Amino acid sequence: MAVVDMGALVDLDRGLIDRRIFADPDIYERELERIFARCWLYLGHESQLAKPGDFLSTYMGEDPVLVVRGTDGRVRAFLNTCRHRGNRVCRVDEGNTKAFTCAYHGWTYDTLGKLVAVPSYKEFWFEELDTSQWGLAPVAQVDSYKGLIFGTIDPAAPPLLDYLGDMAWCLDAVIDRREGGMEVIGGVHKWTVDANWKTAAENFAGDAYHVPRTHISAIRTGFGGASLQPAGYGVGYGGVQINPHVGHGMGARIVDQIEELGTSTAPGAAKYTVDNYPKAEERLGRTRARMSIMHGTVFPNLSFLTAASTIRVWHPKGPLRFEVWSWCIVDKEAPPEVKDALRVHSLRRFSPGGTLEQDDSANWTQVSWSGRGVAARRVPLNYQMGLGHEGPHDDIPGRVGPWESDTNQRAFYRYWAELMR
Amino acid sequence: MATAVRPAAPDAGTRPVPDAVLRSVEHFLYREAHLLDAHRYEEWLELFTDDVHYWMPVRRDMPKPGASEFASEREMAFFDESKDSLRNRVAKFGTGLAWAEEPPSRTRHVITNIMVDQGDSESEVWAHSDFVFYRTRLESRQDILVGARQDLLRRSGDSWTIARRTILLDQTVLSADNLSMFL
Repeated sequence: MAVVDMGALVDLDRGLIDRRIFADPDIYERELERIFARCWLYLGHESQLAKPGDFLSTYMGEDPVLVVRGTDGRVRAFLNTCRHRGNRVCRVDEGNTKAFTCAYHGWTYDTLGKLVAVPSYKEFWFEELDTSQWGLAPVAQVDSYKGLIFGTIDPAAPPLLDYLGDMAWCLDAVIDRREGGMEVIGGVHKWTVDANWKTAAENFAGDAYHVPRTHISAIRTGFGGASLQPAGYGVGYGGVQINPHVGHGMGARIVDQIEELGTSTAPGAAKYTVDNYPKAEERLGRTRARMSIMHGTVFPNLSFLTAASTIRVWHPKGPLRFEVWSWCIVDKEAPPEVKDALRVHSLRRFSPGGTLEQDDSANWTQVSWSGRGVAARRVPLNYQMGLGHEGPHDDIPGRVGPWESDTNQRAFYRYWAELMR
Repeated sequence: MATAVRPAAPDAGTRPVPDAVLRSVEHFLYREAHLLDAHRYEEWLELFTDDVHYWMPVRRDMPKPGASEFASEREMAFFDESKDSLRNRVAKFGTGLAWAEEPPSRTRHVITNIMVDQGDSESEVWAHSDFVFYRTRLESRQDILVGARQDLLRRSGDSWTIARRTILLDQTVLSADNLSMFL
């Protein structure tokens, strides 16, 4: 591609972004190389791969990937492409297997990725093929953080914990509130949005500002918990936006009264959430235990929103299309009725039919597509909210800005530009 | 929230009802589609019993033989609704501020392949139907959703009410960017 001056597209000292970054095919191709083939990407949750032979299919950028718990108990990830002619060796979404057999010529790989069978190996290959060299192409590094499995295509990428930095400190407030860890409820919401993946990623990273307007119909008609408090969303909410490391971002409200933790979750889980507070404080300390309505993005494309028990990945499918893959995640040790209350709340609020989520996609589509207009591209977008009002915080690592600010969006694009340079 | 065991529908078309009943159910389902396409949601709500369970499970590609393609009732669904939550959805559309439907989509529910089977009691029947749902909105957005429905209908005067609806969508990854419609 032509050399693009990323500094000219993204000027975060002034809070300006050229909307070309959402729609330009060359920039998108570069993202696949510079971002998706380098960063640690979310692959799945350990609870989905409980037993040896359990596997799931996903994507890293546009590369189809298999994530497998091998017979040795270790989780690995491989490109889901046969080393022979490139067909996918697995065509289903999840399951348990001893081996993956390609439907084209029958090359067969075990759960460790080794090529274990080649049809007519003796007759047609004269036993000359060195099968040890033709196993499934592995994802260079796979590691997990408290149940969240990540992988990177880049063998030279820093270790996962270094990549997360203090985002791990933030994630603990989401996934480590009590003993036993978390689990994913079965069934994944998957849907297609004709927008750029970054539009969604930046929204979850720190866009508290959109809530009172985008979601006004759900707020007015109620969605359980905080919804019926008129001041519950919007001005004066007393929250923070945290940029702990590189392009990661998390926003959280830090409640004064512990009871308030119960008003931002499913009504059927309110008591459970409040009752669990002492355990959370013991594990996390006062500040993190009191965090509520946590939303965030682990750069580049893993996002979460605790009020809806959702974690999701924005899989890029071209400059102006992405797929959302969204899971409901709950405390493993929570009682069944609490898990079910969280499940129902999650799907009724944040899923393609969710009464809050419904209203995001049309906005996002038009935001991203505005980058197609030649004239519009000459008019930069404004990411200036709260510029200069962010800095260190006594109890929180990284740079911290107001709840309603572009703190995390600026951090997201600053890191994006650094990687794209 | 669905906690009760769902009554099992018979294999569609194996317990046929008299023609008059079939005609009456057909009329009922076409009338329902008419109300939906006219966005007459308050009237549409009246077609459901107070204990309705309206359910559209997530579907996935699974190896065969093996687990069901469809998520179970304790797993994720696109819709897992009670009368109250359906009412909440209708109220949301009524605000005029629900951007997914403002301005409103133009929709067509094509309901076909209707088969009606006798239920366990005289006052209940099972209605199987297939749907082709078309939606267009704004300048050029178009979505098509195709699937099947299994309804448990209860007699109500000379018409019917819907006590259970299961919607089985054919897609695993939705091509639509949201589900701001009823199916």
